[in-house]
Amino acid sequence: MTQCQHAWKMTNAQYGFTVFERCSHCHGVRTYYAAQDTWDEYREGGCTWSIVENAQTLRFDLECEKCQQQVDFKDLMGLMYCTSCMEDCEVECAQKALAPQKTWILAAFGFLPHAPETEISAARLEILTDYFNQRRDTSRSRVKILPFSLIKQVSLCHGELIHDIGMLSPEPFPERKPLF
Amino acid sequence: MKIQELIQNLGLKPLSRFEDRDISGVFISDMMSDAMANAKSGNLWITVQTHKSIIPAANLVDVAAVIITSGKTVPQDTVELADRHAIALLSTDQPTFDLIGKLYGLGIATS
Repeated sequence: MTQCQHAWKMTNAQYGFTVFERCSHCHGVRTYYAAQDTWDEYREGGCTWSIVENAQTLRFDLECEKCQQQVDFKDLMGLMYCTSCMEDCEVECAQKALAPQKTWILAAFGFLPHAPETEISAARLEILTDYFNQRRDTSRSRVKILPFSLIKQVSLCHGELIHDIGMLSPEPFPERKPLF
Repeated sequence: MKIQELIQNLGLKPLSRFEDRDISGVFISDMMSDAMANAKSGNLWITVQTHKSIIPAANLVDVAAVIITSGKTVPQDTVELADRHAIALLSTDQPTFDLIGKLYGLGIATS
């Protein structure tokens, strides 16, 4: 039996919001996907959660056009582009190593706070990498998607998260606040 | 048509260093998530969005160039990121509608 040379396409795309919220008591941060824009503050146990930011986003699955295998990516919060901000960060090391081959590195984030324990598997990140490379002219350049756990210190990372922040504001958005 | 030829034809202002390449069509959106889902390799991405995260989004989906319309001021950090990754970042004072009409006249449409 021959193994399928997968040809991935995006399917089940749903546009919505990634909600970033913070507790004013424990200072915990959590994120989740919501179909609607929401700015409600609410209490849960000893925590009071307030919205820090809503980013328009989409969630999706990938499906192979040849064998119809479907891969769920609903736990993907977003992709962060490595801007080479920390010299001894593993993501930056990968960026430096692969730059001569014109391969650009992105880090895949799951939703917080559970992302570190339920990290998107290497096999699924390979599929996501394949999907975006299949959409591009790989004779010019490629992308590679790594787990965000390779980032040395997320709170100090200046990588660029690909999210639509401030899109619903009638005023120009001056500067992004740190999200983590 | 290539990017340099387009710049000459439409009087676009190049803001970054880039490698010239063929253009395969047009994608219009101000949302990065929309570009991630729907832009195609070699497209011109036309937008009024100037935040630097347009550059990683453009690079992820391999668009040929990003054109900022309506004379929007492009922040320096956006230009620097485009420069670093050799993404063609162009600007024009023309509104999106007018630019689209001219692109259509040149035979460049959605792909």
